Amino acid sequence: MGRARNEGFASRETSANLETVYEPVGRGPCRVATVVAITLAFACSGADSPDAEALSSAEGWRRAQDLWERREIGAWDAWRALDPATPEGAEAHRRLAEADGRYREGVRRLREGAPDARTALLEGVAVAPMDPRLYLPLARACRDRGLEPRAVEYYLKFLAAVPSGPDAEAARAELQELGPELAGVFDPAPSRAPSAPHEPSGAKGAVSAPIAGLAGAALLGAVVLGVAVLRRGSGSLDRLAERSPELHPAIAYLVGSLRHELLKHRIGAVGDALRALDRGDASEQQLAFLTSRLFGGEPLREAWRGYLRAFDRALGFRLDLRRDPWFRKAGRAIGVIAALEGRLGRHAPGVQRRLGAAHARLRDFDRHLADLVGRLVRTRIDGALLRGVVEEVRAEYLPGRVELDELRVDDPDEPVEVEVFRVDLVLIVKNVVRNAILAVGRAAPPRRVAVDVVVDLEPTGEEVVRLRVRDSSEEAPSVESLHDRRADRGLALVTAALSRYDGSIDVEPGTDGYAKAVTLRFFRALPAWESDERQAA
Amino acid sequence: MSGRARLLVVEDGHEYAEFARLFLSDVFDVHGTRTAADALAAVREAAPAGLLLDLRFDRTRPEDLLGDRDEVAARLFGGDRDRALRYLQDQQGTLVLGALRDAGVGAPAVFVHDFPPRRLHNLRRLYGQVEAVASFDAEAIRRALGVS
Repeated sequence: MGRARNEGFASRETSANLETVYEPVGRGPCRVATVVAITLAFACSGADSPDAEALSSAEGWRRAQDLWERREIGAWDAWRALDPATPEGAEAHRRLAEADGRYREGVRRLREGAPDARTALLEGVAVAPMDPRLYLPLARACRDRGLEPRAVEYYLKFLAAVPSGPDAEAARAELQELGPELAGVFDPAPSRAPSAPHEPSGAKGAVSAPIAGLAGAALLGAVVLGVAVLRRGSGSLDRLAERSPELHPAIAYLVGSLRHELLKHRIGAVGDALRALDRGDASEQQLAFLTSRLFGGEPLREAWRGYLRAFDRALGFRLDLRRDPWFRKAGRAIGVIAALEGRLGRHAPGVQRRLGAAHARLRDFDRHLADLVGRLVRTRIDGALLRGVVEEVRAEYLPGRVELDELRVDDPDEPVEVEVFRVDLVLIVKNVVRNAILAVGRAAPPRRVAVDVVVDLEPTGEEVVRLRVRDSSEEAPSVESLHDRRADRGLALVTAALSRYDGSIDVEPGTDGYAKAVTLRFFRALPAWESDERQAA
Repeated sequence: MSGRARLLVVEDGHEYAEFARLFLSDVFDVHGTRTAADALAAVREAAPAGLLLDLRFDRTRPEDLLGDRDEVAARLFGGDRDRALRYLQDQQGTLVLGALRDAGVGAPAVFVHDFPPRRLHNLRRLYGQVEAVASFDAEAIRRALGVS
C-alpha cells in the first residue's frame, strides 16, 4: 500500500454523522444524552441480551464479527447487542449506524432505478451487517427491478429474521406471487436459522409513541452535542487504523503521499548535506542544495498544513492529528526547521544542532509511518477461505438447487495476501461463484465449476494474484457488461468493489475443458519485513 | 570527458541528478536523463558503470512513458486507461530498467525506495544486480553501487 495507485480512495467520502453519537465520548452532557438515547433505544427494541452480557465485550465482538463474516442473519442483532459503553460495542454501534445510512441509500436508489444502488449497498456491506428489517424493502425493490432471484433471497432472509407479524405475512404473500416454482421456499431452511447469541427482535415496531419521541429527541440532542466534542473524542492515526480497517486504503494513500513528497524529497534528501555541514566541509553548492530543499518552493509549514488538511478531508472527524503524538512532534520539527530560514551557515553550530535534531525527528516519523503502512489490512487467500465462500454460496437457495457434476477448489501453491478488506473479498468472490453456479445450472450437463489461484510476476517486480472461477457454461458475460452498473448481474457490483482495491475482473477462455473463466485480479500484498517474508515462503 | 565512471540517472525531474552531482561526483561522472528514450540514447554513447533510478515518473508526458497503456489497461485494469496510466507512471523506473537490460546494460542499478524484500528479490530475478536504499543517503548509494 501507500502507492499512488490508491489515489481513488483519498476522495472517498467518509461518514462522520450519526455514527459518532455511539462513540465513547466519555465526558460532559453528550455522554449523558448518548447513554439516555441508547438506553431508550434498547428498551424500545428489546435488543438487550443476557447472553451477550455474559460474554466479555472482546469475546462478544469477536463472535459478532465472526457471524458477519459468515453472513449469518443474526449478525446484526449480535452487533447491536454489544454494550456501547465498551470500546468494542462503541465500534460496533458506530459502524452499524454508518452502514445503515448506506444500506438505506442503496435501497432507495434501487427502488428508484437510480445508478450506483449496488455501490451504495456494497459500501454498507464493507462496514457492518444490515438491519434485517431492511431485507423486506430490498426484496421489494429487487422484485420491482426484475431481479427476481435476488428478491427471493432477500424475502427469505427477511422471513428468517422476522418470522411473524404483519410484515412477515405480507412478505410471504409477495414471495408466493413470484411464481409457483418457488413453492416450498417458505419453509425455514435449517442452515438459515439465525445463530446469534439471542433471538432477532422481530416486533420492534411495537413502541409507544411517547417513548419513541423521547428516544428521538435524546438522539437528536446527542448528535448536536456530540459534534461539539468530536474533536476531543477522536484519536491518533495509529488508533484509527487499528479500529477502522475500512479506512486503510485512504490511510495508505495519504501516508504514501506525505512520505514521498515531503519526507523523502525535501527532508530525507538533505541528510548528506546536513552531515557535511556538521563536519564543516559543506561546499557552497551543498549548502545551496540544503537551502533550496528546505526553504525553496512551497514553504515547509504550508506544505505540512496541506497534508494535514488532506488527512482531515479524507478521514474527517475520526481523526485529530493535532492530538496525535507522532504528528505533533513532526509538526514541531517542521516549525523548528521553518524558523531557521535565513540562518543557515557554516559557522552557526547552534542552528545546525537544532536543524539536525528536527531532521532526526522527521526521519523517525517517516520510519514510524512506514511501519504503520506495513500493518494495514491484508487478507490471506487460501484454500480455507475459498472453500468457505463456496460452501456459503451452496447454502443459498437457488445456487444450492443446482446439481453439479463437479465443484472443485484448488488450494493456492503458497498462501497469498491481498490488500483487500476480508468482507469485501468474500463478497466479491461469492458473487462470481454464485454467477458461475447459476450459469451452469441453466446449461446442459456436465455442470462443472472450479476455483483456483494463480500468481504472475510482472515486469515491475510486483506480483498479480489471479483468482479464477472457471465453469462449463458457454453463457459468458461480455467484458462491457461486467463494467455496466446497470447490468442485471451481481458482477457489476463486483466491479465497483474491485476498483476500490485496484483490482479488476475479466472473462477469459476456459482451460482444462471449462468453457470460460471469470478472473479477479489483485496486486499481491508482499510481506513488509524479512521475517514475514520467511513465514510466507 | 572525465576519467570517472559514468553514473546514469533516470528520473522525471532533476532531484536525483542534483543530489548525485553534489554527493557522488567524487567517484562518478553523473549523466542525467528524463525518459527511457533519453536513457537508451545515453547508453549507446557510453556504457554506464551504475544506474540511479527514480521509480515514479508522474511528471513525464504519457507519450514518453514506456509500456503499452492499452495492453496494461486490458490485462490488469479491466480496460481502465486512467488506472493504466497511473500504473505506468508509478512503476516506470522498473520498466526503464528492463529496457536498459534489454539493451545490454548490466551495470548495478539502485532505486531510492523502501521496497518489500520480496519485491526486491523479484527485481533481482528479472534484472540481475538491483539494490534499493530507503532514502537519499550518499554512503548507502555508494555501497549499493559497489564503490564505497
